[in-house]
Amino acid sequence: MATVVAGHGALLATALAWATRASGPAWVALALLGGAAAAARLHRLGALAYLAPALWVAFLAARGRLAALGLAASIPFRALALGFALGAFIGAHLLISASRTLGYRLRDDPGEVAVWIAYDLGANVLAAEGFFRGALFNRVQRRASFATGVAVSTAACLIRYLVDPLLPRGAAIVIGTVFYLSLVSVVNCWLLWWSGSLVPAFATSMSFFAAYRMLESGGLSR
Amino acid sequence: MASRVSALGVASALAAVTAMVVLTGPAPTSPWRHGFLVPVIAAALAFGHIGGVLTAGGAVLLSAPFVLPDIERAGLGGAAAEGLVSFVIILTLGWLAGALRTRASRQAARYVTLVAVQRTLAADAPLDVALARLRAVLLSRLAMADVALVARDGDRLALAGGATVAPGSLAARALERDASVFVSDTGDGSRPRRALAVPLTAGGMGLGVLAVERVGELPAEERRALEALGGELGLALENARLASRQRRFAAELAERIAEATRRLAEMDRAKSAFVAIASHELRTPLSAILGFAELLAVRRFSENEVRRLAEIIRRETERLVRIVNDLLDLSRLERGLAPALRRTAVAVEPALGGAVELFRRGSASHRFVVECAPSLPRVDADPDALDRILKNLVSNAVKYSPPGSTVTVSARARADGSAVEFTIADEGRGISRSALPRVFEPYYRAPDTLGAARGAGIGLAVVKSLVDAHGGAIRVDSEAAGTRVTFELPSVP
Repeated sequence: MATVVAGHGALLATALAWATRASGPAWVALALLGGAAAAARLHRLGALAYLAPALWVAFLAARGRLAALGLAASIPFRALALGFALGAFIGAHLLISASRTLGYRLRDDPGEVAVWIAYDLGANVLAAEGFFRGALFNRVQRRASFATGVAVSTAACLIRYLVDPLLPRGAAIVIGTVFYLSLVSVVNCWLLWWSGSLVPAFATSMSFFAAYRMLESGGLSR
Repeated sequence: MASRVSALGVASALAAVTAMVVLTGPAPTSPWRHGFLVPVIAAALAFGHIGGVLTAGGAVLLSAPFVLPDIERAGLGGAAAEGLVSFVIILTLGWLAGALRTRASRQAARYVTLVAVQRTLAADAPLDVALARLRAVLLSRLAMADVALVARDGDRLALAGGATVAPGSLAARALERDASVFVSDTGDGSRPRRALAVPLTAGGMGLGVLAVERVGELPAEERRALEALGGELGLALENARLASRQRRFAAELAERIAEATRRLAEMDRAKSAFVAIASHELRTPLSAILGFAELLAVRRFSENEVRRLAEIIRRETERLVRIVNDLLDLSRLERGLAPALRRTAVAVEPALGGAVELFRRGSASHRFVVECAPSLPRVDADPDALDRILKNLVSNAVKYSPPGSTVTVSARARADGSAVEFTIADEGRGISRSALPRVFEPYYRAPDTLGAARGAGIGLAVVKSLVDAHGGAIRVDSEAAGTRVTFELPSVP
């Protein structure tokens, strides 16, 4: 629980504080994340509580308070579809490569996959996209350039996942993490830049992580 | 190229090569792996560096499943290394060919833009119009959200793409510093709005500013290209300005030469006419003097008759003296010399009376009115010159007004007492509006007066030179009801 609150909570709270210029929404998000982590530990269905932070962010976006992060009431559906497609493509590639190279098997418990997807939705992807793309990339690319924004955002994102103590160790895992997360990061930066919305980037990450969670070892950083 | 190679074609080629690798036995050393270079280079040439890098990335992604398992199984052996080298080659070629293609197309676009700019500025047009046309060309060529041009035009700034240059604005700062100013984001939209203002220079001088705004990227390379374009635009603008000025100058010169030639021809004709008229003008009094002198010499007359004839001779002699004096003054005038004056304090009323009396005695057909304000100051003038001015003007008034009409000669002091204003007015038919500006030119005679009276066209020229020599001023006002000549001479303090 502490890992979730410290890791994802810090990222999400910072992004919300930057966007809303107020600390209230950030504290609420932290509390919701903490609650969700606690609920998930108590019972498997408690993972559904991860939907709360996502709903809180959606509520703030609908009120127009997260426009600075690229989250507004309107959603570009073409870009959203493209985001899902790109995420699915990268995820499919991951599934094929991992099963062929590392010999990972797919999870045989769909409930477990659903728990992980809920976690990604309300904590992992929400925090990563909100901070690395919505806040960091957006600011850097405005002040410098698209390429600089991509580089900074991707580097920060990689560091965040590589230093995660829950990441399984091993050369192949590290290389795979660097490769796929770099790819996802670049794609998401471009999607945000192209569409002006963070939602397609969110879709890409969700598709990718959904594929990743299907693998037996897909328990990275919960 | 892009029209022949589509994204779908590139994707199909990647899929085909992947299929060939799979069908021929998936291995890091499959010879079909080199087939990935075809779509990668085609995409790079068609879509530039983004197309090249994306396609190369796609090729690596597609071939990774054939290389990475080998590394996982047997470590980095010869076959796996060969596969990895293929990755590097594909990525490098995709990036390199794409970058070269992008740079070449940007360079080509820049040349096309320059040609369009030169064509636009080749047409002779006012600066504001030329700038507006130039802006339209740049908007269509530079792929910018907005383009504005500011050019110095003397003390003012000519603008295209805006109403004014606001103090502190991007263009104002670039104008002030004579250097480029870049703002990474001027808006608050989802994409950054980059803005750049570059100086337009020619020969080291700042002629204006080119300001552009783009939603999206404006990379350093493109900013440098825009700075170079600013220099080229400045040069083109300066060339156009010089060419336009040269054309205007040539046209003006041709016009002036034509005018001078016309004036010379006119003057030549006038001089010829003058010689004929002057000869006639001189001969008339001389004939009278000669005739009456011979009569007095060979005949005997009564005392009264002798007096009458002597008076005629005196009058004709005076007329002759006036003509000769006018000719002498005109000669000095043409040599650029002012008439010689011996100035003294001259009482106005006797001068007026004397001049009018001569004509009153000689011309019974006109009525003369002298209006002289009381206690007029004396004028600082040469008495002979004043007499000639008045006689010339009264003579003209008599000549160009019908018998029975009134010639009015008046004088009054100016309100501040610094000068006395003389006016000679007649009731003639006046001078046409077109002839008025030229009445003081030597030898000039208004076309509608040529048959009305004799004259050499030098009287008013001499009068003006005499008035000018006194530091005075003269003007002519004429309407259908008559002509009014007014001149001022300085009064004695």
